[in-house]
Amino acid sequence: MIYLDFSATSPLDPSAKKAMLEVMELSERRLLGNPSSLHTPGSRGRDLLSSARKSVANLVNASPNEIIFTSGGSESNNTVMNIFDSCPIFVSKIEHPSVLAPAEEHAEPLYKIPVSSEGVISLDFLKEKLDFLLESSPKKKILISVMTANNETGVLEPLKEVSTLIKEYREKGLKKLYFHTDATQAVGKIPLDTKSLGVDYLTISAHKLGGPVGIGALFVRTGAPYKPLILGGEQENKRRAGTSNALLAAGFKAVAEKSFSTPKKYKEVAKLRDWLASEILRELPTAKILTAVGIEREGTKETIVGREAISSEQSSKGELSLSLERSKKTSRISGGDHEGAQSTAGVSRGALRSARLDDDRNPTEVSRSEKDSDSSQYGKSSNRSEEIASRPSKSLPNILNVSFPSAEGESTQLYLDLAGFAVSTGSACASGDLEPSHVIMSMTGDAEIAHNSVRFSLGLDTKKSDLKKLIKTLKPIVSRLQSISTIKLKEQP
Amino acid sequence: MTKPSPLEKSWAYTEIVKDHFLNPRNFLMGDERKFKADGEGIVGNPICGDQMLIKIKVGAKNGEEYISDIGWKTYGCASAIASTSALSELAKGRSLEDADKITAKEICDFLGGLPEHKFHCSILGHQALHKAIEDYKHKKSPLAEAKDK
Repeated sequence: MIYLDFSATSPLDPSAKKAMLEVMELSERRLLGNPSSLHTPGSRGRDLLSSARKSVANLVNASPNEIIFTSGGSESNNTVMNIFDSCPIFVSKIEHPSVLAPAEEHAEPLYKIPVSSEGVISLDFLKEKLDFLLESSPKKKILISVMTANNETGVLEPLKEVSTLIKEYREKGLKKLYFHTDATQAVGKIPLDTKSLGVDYLTISAHKLGGPVGIGALFVRTGAPYKPLILGGEQENKRRAGTSNALLAAGFKAVAEKSFSTPKKYKEVAKLRDWLASEILRELPTAKILTAVGIEREGTKETIVGREAISSEQSSKGELSLSLERSKKTSRISGGDHEGAQSTAGVSRGALRSARLDDDRNPTEVSRSEKDSDSSQYGKSSNRSEEIASRPSKSLPNILNVSFPSAEGESTQLYLDLAGFAVSTGSACASGDLEPSHVIMSMTGDAEIAHNSVRFSLGLDTKKSDLKKLIKTLKPIVSRLQSISTIKLKEQP
Repeated sequence: MTKPSPLEKSWAYTEIVKDHFLNPRNFLMGDERKFKADGEGIVGNPICGDQMLIKIKVGAKNGEEYISDIGWKTYGCASAIASTSALSELAKGRSLEDADKITAKEICDFLGGLPEHKFHCSILGHQALHKAIEDYKHKKSPLAEAKDK
């Protein structure tokens, strides 16, 4: 089996396995107690926990007392939303369900931030609503939750810009404005620094790093509001009840230490991912790439997302208007040395350059739809996200989301599975609730694109030869599904 | 085979489903117009993720009209493809009256069962066939009336 579903879960890293086996051994030999117990076996458990806490803190440049161990990303996200019960909460429309569902439950009201066709949040929407709150209820506690990177497409959100905006509005009078980011997919893939990001809360999951399933962490900045979700024990400094899990913490520690240096290695994975995208487009030219990737074409590197490959010549001026939101420089994630692809959504490189030149406080607002931000406040509107101006986007190095027209995603996924490849799909058929991916729906407003989407997520050990085999297998599968499909392929350009 | 607990939703397909998914029967590749049919029906909606087209040829034996040939196209998941394939096998050779009585349950049983949340896919197949039969009757009726006169 060639595993290309690392974003769902990563195989257990040998270092985590070794660490956990050692802890199991201790437990079996009666040498490990409940970390809350005062005796020697108990203190061994405490030591394991506190050293794991240090490693996790170090990974995101936090202090150990700012790290709370949880059962994973979902609990961390639920915990944050619970703190802001009955408060205004902002979430992006493409958050993970473990943010969206508790936000629906707790927020009063809930503001769903729309995204561009590339999946990048609208900062203008945020500003507009914050202005309103500044007028109407400046004393309220408010949360803004924007994921670091999306789990389906890998798009990186402009956290730095959100952070700057938050600072600005705090100074204007929204004193109790707080910032959470779900970094579940991003940790270990790109450098993350809670201090330079200016976040108050940050969600981490161990198993996405190659650690065990069942443990994660929540960074809570010292001084940020807190309320435990799970009550009935004094563990985690009274912030999360339940017997501390020294075993899983040891596994978490092992991968947290490794993950500090993995972002550099993922630059190679990004090249491989970009290569895969260009091969897919070569073999299956109707494919739509939904992740910002870099594509080599005739010696020059260009970037695409959200549509078929569009060469510089082909890109029309009409599309240009979509991509020139007030173009600050591409969002950078703390430290910003991630060289992920920038996408231009069909805009020529020349246009991109001019967009960048506009950067310096000379915003070029072009034909932006007003109605979108107004009517989509509660996320129920069906506005096409194309109407929202977008900005050049970047993506995680290891995710590639592709939609194959007329070929339903679950079928593609299962044919690939039977051929020995594990991938994911945004198709409704695979979701259980029979709804297609809310992420791709928010980006494109097109259910077919969502149903037909397939996510390939690579790991550090993914080889080019694996991807070559994938391409060989993928082409006949997709072509066959397309040829028996009731939906006709549009004429190829 | 162990049955998954109700807590673990089963994604697993039976071997028969897999077989019909991997080696679908009677399907139409490419341009479906090449298959000259006496009746056709299409149901479903790509927006919902499933769409099926059924085309039938009608013959007569022993004074009864029957489905002499059937072809189909499907946009959808594995279950949709397999269930349309299964339906085509079930319907081929049957009298129109009998074929029109094929139920979703019959398709499902033929496949050795489908995951519960996938049941809607096979229901579509039988609806498409019903439409194809209706289409045939509709197309035929003026001619039939003319003959009677």
